[in-house]
Amino acid sequence: MATLVRISSVCHRGVSPLLFRSSSLIRPLAVQKKDRDCPYLISAKIHATPSNYAGSGSKAASLHWTGERILSIVLLGLAPVAYYYPGPAVDYSLAAALTLHGHWGLGQILTDYVHGDFKIKMANAGLFLLSTVTFAGLCYFNYHDVGICKAVALLWSK
Amino acid sequence: MALLLRTVARQGLCPSRSQFGVLYRYAVPMGTTAKEEMNKFWSKNTRLNRPVSPHISIYKWSIPMMMSISHRGTGVALSSGISAFALAALVLPESYPYYLDLIHSMTFGPQFLAFSKFALAFPVVYHTFNGIRHLVWDLGKGFKIPEVYRSGYMVIALTVLASIGLAAM
Repeated sequence: MATLVRISSVCHRGVSPLLFRSSSLIRPLAVQKKDRDCPYLISAKIHATPSNYAGSGSKAASLHWTGERILSIVLLGLAPVAYYYPGPAVDYSLAAALTLHGHWGLGQILTDYVHGDFKIKMANAGLFLLSTVTFAGLCYFNYHDVGICKAVALLWSK
Repeated sequence: MALLLRTVARQGLCPSRSQFGVLYRYAVPMGTTAKEEMNKFWSKNTRLNRPVSPHISIYKWSIPMMMSISHRGTGVALSSGISAFALAALVLPESYPYYLDLIHSMTFGPQFLAFSKFALAFPVVYHTFNGIRHLVWDLGKGFKIPEVYRSGYMVIALTVLASIGLAAM
């Protein structure tokens, strides 16, 4: 998990201030040993999530990320299965995996480009609605029509 | 994730006994989450009506950049296609074979069919292969710049070949 390191105090004595200010946050800075009396200590503020820390102790974001990757791999595996073993089991699995993968992917796009509490809430609500309708439609298609695997096969046979 | 560089007022530095290398002796957890920090950033900057620096309008486009946005673009396009298909399934009265035959009767020959198969397969295949490239990055491999370019060219080549292969089926 990436940590944001914020350098809260930097010494400028005898050194060009630009040199230190532009340093990468993650790289530790080389420090000149000064034996003068300096009462202040360097401290770095970091985003940490220790289990006993009340404010940001949730692992939700990290687990979500892992879930996204696992789902991607599952979807990858479903493709050859759909080709060699078409049928209702694969049809419904594809419907679920495709919808969820798309839902999470679009969710990341919203997180990237939509800002502001209200707008974020509205956008996510809209996305949820879209994904629900999509899943419902795909399941309807699987049940009342030929199903996803057969649909692709028919399309390709033309 | 944006790196926020905020330097507070200048203070004295005391490296105490440490030599070179590690700058900080103490790590202090912040009182806000990364999400809260981002929200504060955006609300403050929109409130002050600050302009955004030009970035995509001035930065030279590179293959990795183009492939990255294409990955996102194909994802959105495919997702929209699936949603449109699902919506159509719910709304349209007839069955899928009916509409498929309808479209088939309107087509302009086998080349058109082959081309439309290619056009359908291409985004799926590209998104799949580039997705695998992403998963490899998630394992922590292949971040060196030459490797990024090499894997990128590989994805493009495989996409073209596989799309042609699928369209021929």
